[in-house]
Order: sequence, then C-alpha cells, then structure tokens
Amino acid sequence: MKKQWWKKGSLSVLLATAIVAAGCSSQTSTNPGQTTEAPKGGNTLVISALVDPDTLDLHKSTWVSSANGILYEPLLTRDMSGKVSPGLAEKYEVSEDGKVWTFTLRKGLRFHSGEPVTGEAVKQSFERMLEVSPVKSIIGPVEKVEATDEHTFKVHLSSPFAPFLSVVMSGMISPVDAKKAKELGDGFGDNPSGTGPVMFEKRERGASLTYKKNPDYNWGPEYAQNKGPIQVDNVMFRFLKDDDTRMMEFKKGTIHILSDVPANSVAELQSLPGVEINKTMDIGHKYIAFNNLHPLFSDVRLRKAIALSVDRDPLVQVALNGFGKPVYGPLPPTIWGYSENIENKAKQMYSRDLNQARQLMADAGWTDTNGDGLVDKDGKPLSVEILVSPEPAFQRAVQILQSQLKEAGIDLKITVQEMATIKDRISKKSYDMALMYFGWYDADIFYLLFEKSNSASRMYFTRPEMDELLNKGRTEMNDEKRFKIYEEAQEILLNETPWVPLWVNETVTATRGIKGMVINPYTQGMVLSDITIDK
Amino acid sequence: MRRYVLKRLLSLVGTLLGVSVLIFLMVHLIPGDPVTTILGQFATPEAVDQLRAKLGLDLPLWEQYMHFLGKLLTGDLGTSLFTGQSVWEQIAERFPITLQLAIFSVIIAAIFGILLGTIAAVKQNTFVDRLVVLSSLVGISAPGFWIALFLIWVFAYKLALFPISGYEGLHSLLLPAITLGMAEAGLIARMTRSSMLEVIKQDYMRTAEAKGAAVIRMVFSHGLPNAIIPVITMLGLQFGSLMAGAVVVETVFSLQGIGSLAIEAIGKRDMPTVQGMVFFMAVIFATTNLVVDLIYSLIDPRIHYD
Repeated sequence: MKKQWWKKGSLSVLLATAIVAAGCSSQTSTNPGQTTEAPKGGNTLVISALVDPDTLDLHKSTWVSSANGILYEPLLTRDMSGKVSPGLAEKYEVSEDGKVWTFTLRKGLRFHSGEPVTGEAVKQSFERMLEVSPVKSIIGPVEKVEATDEHTFKVHLSSPFAPFLSVVMSGMISPVDAKKAKELGDGFGDNPSGTGPVMFEKRERGASLTYKKNPDYNWGPEYAQNKGPIQVDNVMFRFLKDDDTRMMEFKKGTIHILSDVPANSVAELQSLPGVEINKTMDIGHKYIAFNNLHPLFSDVRLRKAIALSVDRDPLVQVALNGFGKPVYGPLPPTIWGYSENIENKAKQMYSRDLNQARQLMADAGWTDTNGDGLVDKDGKPLSVEILVSPEPAFQRAVQILQSQLKEAGIDLKITVQEMATIKDRISKKSYDMALMYFGWYDADIFYLLFEKSNSASRMYFTRPEMDELLNKGRTEMNDEKRFKIYEEAQEILLNETPWVPLWVNETVTATRGIKGMVINPYTQGMVLSDITIDK
Repeated sequence: MRRYVLKRLLSLVGTLLGVSVLIFLMVHLIPGDPVTTILGQFATPEAVDQLRAKLGLDLPLWEQYMHFLGKLLTGDLGTSLFTGQSVWEQIAERFPITLQLAIFSVIIAAIFGILLGTIAAVKQNTFVDRLVVLSSLVGISAPGFWIALFLIWVFAYKLALFPISGYEGLHSLLLPAITLGMAEAGLIARMTRSSMLEVIKQDYMRTAEAKGAAVIRMVFSHGLPNAIIPVITMLGLQFGSLMAGAVVVETVFSLQGIGSLAIEAIGKRDMPTVQGMVFFMAVIFATTNLVVDLIYSLIDPRIHYD
C-alpha cells in the first residue's frame, strides 16, 4: 500500500516540476528576453553603468555621471589633449580684472523641447542653478548674470575667480531648459530638457535609462569626427551592480559598453574575440589622510616616516591588478596644475626608504626597544588605525599597506566602515588615518582640502602660507602665474606631507560590437557622436 | 472573531507607534550625515550648515520626531533627500517586484517543502528520507548568491531560457524565486517532516490505517491538516521577511525590489526614505502575522478566536 502511494507521490512531484518547467519555457519562448535581443537587433547602444543617478535634473545633482551628463552640454570643454575647446559657446572672454566672463553662444542651438538656446535662456538656467543647486558654493562669487544679446551671456563676479573655467567645463553648470523646468517644477527631473546629443525617452529607476537620438543636434565637440546627430537611434544605460552578472551580460552580447570593468576580469575579456579594452586615467587620486591634529601625526617626522614606508608599486600591481599609476605628488597628470617637476621631486623624496623612515621615527623617540619588530615609546608600541570603505580594491590595498608598515615597525589596524561612517568619524576628529579619494578638474581642489575654512572637515591641516597661496590661486587669471602659485603650494604639501598620495585609478571600459568609442580623459566623458554599432 | 481582530488591530497601533520611535532613533543615532553625502567633496562647513538648516536637520531630535510622526499620521512617509521622490512613490515603484518575488518563492517553498517533508516523514529512515534531509540541508546552507549565479550561468547564460538580469515580466522572476525558495523549501521540508512524524504516531492515524484508508488519503486528509500549523507559521514569517526585500538576490539578478532600495538609502543616509520604508515594512510584517493567525482558524477548526 505504501509503495503504491509513493509511486503516486513521485508522479505528482514530477508533474509539479514539469508544470513549473513548462510554465517557464512556454513564457520564454513567446516572450524572449528583450535585453538579449536589443543590442544585436536594433540600433540601440547599450551601456552598463554601476550607479543610477539620483536625478536627471542637472541643477539638483551633486555629481555628473555619463548617465545623466549626456543630456546636457557645457559652454566650454577640454579636447583630447586637455586644451580648452568650444562647447555650446564658440568663444569666451575674460575681462582684464577677471571679474566679467563673456560667452558667445553658437548659432542654431536648440533645447530638446525645441526652444532656442539664447543668451536669455542661458541666463535663466544660470539663475535657476544659483537658486536650487546644493553645490552652488563651488561656482564662485557670482554677483549677477546678464544676457547682452541673443547670443551673448555674461557672468559678473564680485572678485576674480580663476577656477570658474573648470567649473564651466565640469558640466555641473551646463545650461538646462529653464522655461520647461519652470513649467514642470519638481517634475523636470522626470522629463528633462537639455542640449545634448540624446533626449530623454524613459526611465525605470534603478534598472535602466533610455535616451533617443536628438535629430537636431549638429554641434558635436570639435574633437569628434561627426558633428551631427549621433549614429545610433537609442542609447540605453543599464544599471548592474553585481560584477558577475554584468560580466555574463557582456559576454552574452547584451551590452556594448561595459564600464568600470573589475580589474581581475580584464584578462578574461581581452581573450574574447571582438572585445576592445579602453583605459582612462581618473581625475583624482587615492590617498592616506592623516588626522593632523592627532598627537602622533602633529609631528611631521611620523607623517614622513609613514610616507617613506609605503611602496606604491605593489599597491597598483596587486590591489589594482596593474590598472592604475602610482602617484607621489599632490596631483595626478589629468588635473590642471599637475607639474612634472613636483612629481619627480615627490618621487625622490617619498620613494620607499625604510632606513630613513626608521631614522625619522627614532628622532621622534620611537625605537624598537624590546625586539618585537614594532617601534615603541614609553613602553607602548606604535599602533595606528586606518579607516577604509568596503571596496575590494581598497581592502586589498590596506592589507598590503599593513604589511609594508609592519616592516617599518608600525602596527596598522584596519577598520572597514561605510563611507558615511568614515566621514562622520573624520568630522568628529575621531580617527588616526583614512583611505580617501578626491576627483576634480583643477588644482583649486586644494582649497577644499586644505584652506583654513574647509580644513576643519578634512585632514585638519592648515598653514597660513598655504592659505595665502590657495587664495591667490583663485584670483590669479594668468595661467602661467597661477601654475607657479600651485607649484609653490605643492612644495609645502611635499615638505609637510599632511597626506600620502598613493595612486590614480585607470578606469577600464570594455566594448564589443561597436566602433569609434573613445573616452576623453580630461572630461571623463565618452565621445558619443563617433560610435557606430556593427551591423 | 471580530472582537479578536479589533483587539489585534488596536495592539497593532501601539506596536507601530513604538516601532516609529525605534526607527527614528536608529536612523538618527547611526553615525553618518546625509548632508555630507549629498555634498560629497564639496561639503565645506559653510555649505553643510546651510543645507542642514534647509532640510531641517538642525532642529532638536524630539522636534524632528514630532514632524516625522505628524506626517505619518497623515499617511505621509516623507520625501527622499536625494531623488526628491516621495517614499510612497518609491514604494510604488519597487514594491510590486518584491511582492511578486515573495509570493512566487513562498509558493515554490510551500509546494516543494511540504511535499518533500511529507514524503520524508512517511518514508522515515529510508534512503528517500535521508535524501530529503540531506538536500534540505544543502538548500538551507548553500549561500544565496552562489545558487543565484549557478542558476544564471546554467539557465540564462548557457541555455538562454531566461534573461540574465533585470525584470521583464513574471518569467524573469523564476530564477530569483527558485534561489529564495530553495532555502525556504529546505526549512519547510524539515519542519513538515518533524511535524508529520508527530502526527503519524497519533491514534486517529492508526485508526484510519486500521480501517484500510489509502495512504494518500490518510496523509493528506488526516495527517497534513494536523501537522501543518507550525509550517504555516513559518511560511507566514518567511513571507513577511521576504516582503522586506531580499538584497542579495535583488542585486545579483539586478531586480529593483524594496531591499536594494533600503540598502541604497541606508548607505546614503537618506533618512526619510529609510524611516518611511522601514515603517512600511513593519506594517506589512505585522499585518502578515495577523493574517497568518487568522488562517489558523480556517485550517484547524479547533482554533477559535473569541
């Protein structure tokens, strides 16, 4: 009797499985996954990105990514060699006193809504930004803006502000269609209108963003071969966070452009036919931030000793799988203000030298008195904590740092915390060291990091002579003179080493099934106009 | 019954009030400031102060709580500091996927768990029993992300039966639902088995067997209804927690459910979103529990609520 039942039971299990399986297969056969078809079939360029932007309303965002940035275009940009190049403005002039910036707009520009881009429209956009942007403080001392004629737009500053050029080129203040923004109010983020090569089509928050070609676009960047409308019908950003999933999607052929390729997957992708790998250096670097108020690190000898204990090559080779460049000086080559002189000097000063590091620590009273391998003072070993966010590459890096510092006799304790918590601890001064990063287009980033009014939330390092230089750098309009000012400021940073610059990342992008994809290292944006999909 | 439901609903209000205090305190006491996250590297002390004042984060904590509670009472869960969307809008976007996934995986867990658990109990100490116990252990202990990647690799990447990631209708939820359902099926199978083993020893089962009832009838008409109460409790709890989202599975399959939204919001310290979402989840969880309790009386006539 039991046997009989078991036969029936197993039959029903099989039946249930079959029903479920049949349910799946019938659904997939009638409704094949759209994503698997889209890139091959249609003329849709599919890009995988990590983060869905919070908003498509440029003025309300705090950082421009390619996913929301391509809707808009800046007044000026940088070409592939870093030189200033026309954007929506064909030229610009700065008054002798550096207070009035005049932009002459190209003719025939239109917003996605069809509205012409006039001096007045740009003025309204600028005013809106000053009203709503959470990051308006970076724009500088704007007194008023005016449209002097149909194609001219002027910004009056209360004092000269040299970084304004970088702010304009950053894309953070690019013109938006202020008339439409006024009409839509908070809804502008869901139905944005800019001047970029693509127009908003639809959005599935967190999952994807789809744009369509802007057919009127004929103001492509000077460094692009195609100045007219882009050569694909649609551009779709898919937001995939899991590395394994997005790798499988790319290998399957459902994605044309895979951004932020995990370093340990590059070799595998390179071996696939038709895959091209593009490397772009970041516009910022990763560094060890000291708490310069900490009793240990208020002594420059200990800061230097730690800087001299670090060997950057293994960090880049092992933690980043080679996709980065060691940085010794305060700026990477992609940021205006980078000086080869300074970098060479920094390399001489801070290439790993354990003897010198030990000597500096001994001068400060730290020696290994008990032979345990760690230096000590008053019976206490030199032990410091480093805060690090849970990014895999960062974690690999701090583990390497830990062993490098141990060789110098320093015990490094690693604490992994979310970035929000790390920032909180920094603001409360309750930290020794932290692995941090920055990204900006201009040496004025030092103002945010080290000027006395801002240093309170950063590394707590400030020097009157440094403040003077950083303020002078903001008002000096002559590029050469300005460059010298920042060289001087960087000298101070080299001698005082309130931080230890470590490396600049190389972002890896993989492409397949397309041609013409180039990334501009100075704007970090891809040149969309020249991309074609293989037929 | 009506009085019981009313009583439960009243106590639910008290519970939710307590929950609102807890959520508020937790969100405000964890280290991290949404303002520094919003401003990023441009968070100069001046900009931070300005934005904090604009968002009302400079008010005393009790005042902020009163604002939160006042809004809650009018059904307003708040607005995201980052996207400008109301929490309700965000829930409306994300909850349908979570709900479908929860239902789907609980169905899978219930079908396989109850069936296998019953078979194992009936065939106690045989090869089949051991196989079920072993496979349920594997289901419980295999990490979710591993099962997910394995299923994607076989069924989506190699066989191309499903999309690798993303939501394109119910069929794209099958692999994630199996991933979630497998662990639950394992638990349910073990619970059904032990519960059934108790029931099988009861007099009424022996009587039924003596009267010559077919095993299948014996098991499904007399055994299972008596053994199923603890299983229903567990299914209810699992359903409730699944409604709060399944972060790992949502991430691997790139599904925009409520779990990934909550994690993103916590990472950014988007306080209104976290508060509103957690409160919503608490309401859902408490309601699910109430419904499960009421289901008992439908299944087991011995249970009365007066």
